[in-house]
Amino acid sequence: MNKLRGVARCGLPFPPPTKIIRFQRQGCTNRPFYHIIVADVKSDIHFPPIEQLGTHDPIANENNEKLTSLNYERIRYWLSQGATTSRPVQELLGLAGFFPIHPRSYMTAWRNRKLAEETSKIETTGTNEQEKE
Amino acid sequence: MAALRHISQSLLRNFLKTEIRPNPETCSVCIRLLNYSSIDYDDKHDPSPKFFNKEVQSLLKDLTRIDLGKVNKRKRLGSDKLEEPVYQFMTDEELQKATEAAIKKSEELLQIPPVVSVRKPINRVLSEDPALQGLEQSTMVFTDITFGIRDSDRLIVVREPSGILKEAEWDVKNRMNQLYFPKEGRLLKPPKMFFGEYFESLLERKEYEFILDRACLQFEPNDPDYQRVTSITYQHVNDKGGFEMLRSTRHFGALVFFLAWHKNIDNLLLDLIETSYIEEGSKLLDLYSKLHDVNFKSSNDLEKIEEYIKNFAKKKAGLELGVQAYKDVLKQRQELEEGIKVAHGLR
Repeated sequence: MNKLRGVARCGLPFPPPTKIIRFQRQGCTNRPFYHIIVADVKSDIHFPPIEQLGTHDPIANENNEKLTSLNYERIRYWLSQGATTSRPVQELLGLAGFFPIHPRSYMTAWRNRKLAEETSKIETTGTNEQEKE
Repeated sequence: MAALRHISQSLLRNFLKTEIRPNPETCSVCIRLLNYSSIDYDDKHDPSPKFFNKEVQSLLKDLTRIDLGKVNKRKRLGSDKLEEPVYQFMTDEELQKATEAAIKKSEELLQIPPVVSVRKPINRVLSEDPALQGLEQSTMVFTDITFGIRDSDRLIVVREPSGILKEAEWDVKNRMNQLYFPKEGRLLKPPKMFFGEYFESLLERKEYEFILDRACLQFEPNDPDYQRVTSITYQHVNDKGGFEMLRSTRHFGALVFFLAWHKNIDNLLLDLIETSYIEEGSKLLDLYSKLHDVNFKSSNDLEKIEEYIKNFAKKKAGLELGVQAYKDVLKQRQELEEGIKVAHGLR
């Protein structure tokens, strides 16, 4: 029966992971700041975590840097215990060079580039039209 | 005698100013300030093997001339309230033990800050991924906060907007280390007292110990800023004759090493001769010979100094006058002693 259940998970890990490494929003209104934590998959987002593994500040500082701290040793430990990671954490660890880069990062980058191109095109054509008028 | 001393001093003060000139090879960062330029220990001639040599260390310690009263003096830090002194009755044994403890403590306080060559810039690219362009407008800094790693070994990497992943540069590394593992008294940004007019004014007020203490706290010894601040301060001390202010502090050894390394010990030697510390003068020359592989033939202290003046000194006139004055003092002393003996009817 267990084997069958394993097959039914379509290549996903079995037994299904009970721990997850994810962000937990700290900060305050309009000022996000995240702890990177390990918690039970089903636990509430505000529950106290099992362990804190790092921090992530999504707002750039005065030197235009976004700061992240990661406790690689403990992250390795929890991964070895079969913990999964949430997608934002996967992306972050990908950028840090700890995981392979997440496909979503490439997609976002590509979309941003495309958007920037389009806006610059509109701006240039818009100004050209204005000049013609 | 006094006239001779006055002449030798004025000779030095007026037209024999320091002549440490950084040659273009040995100086990587030159910032003009007060007519002094920063002199780094460059990595072509690494001073650390010679500095950490046991004999050199013991020579530096001897030259520091430890005064227990000055070492254990209460420093005017402004924060703590003054405590009432405690007076104790002690037996001889207890007194000896207390003195030994004081000496041990002073040895800790007098550790000379390490003299090492200035660090090289980090340029280690880990991976390049141009497909990540456009993902972020700002650089991402990732710091490893694993427990029990030394600050110097901590992995700190940077993902730039262009998609390049590389090891962080020194200033970012220091900033992150201080941010996540703060050291008490060190600031995230170096304080203004090390730059421009603020630094100049401190030097003018001769706050040498304050500058050097704070520099030790704020910077790592291989930091170009540390070497700039300390080297300029040492040159200032050397020119203004502020040796007595640094004596019996942890910085005196580093000062002496700096002067000996750059072959500029004449002012210090004259100071030692004038204050009749000929033995220390000889030790200074031992240090000089160790650093530059020079041998002095004579073993007598005074003869050794004369040999140095003859062969290596840049400021011969002043030093010769100083030695002459010292000899006169010796002569006078001898005459006085003999006179006393005669007066007491011993001869």
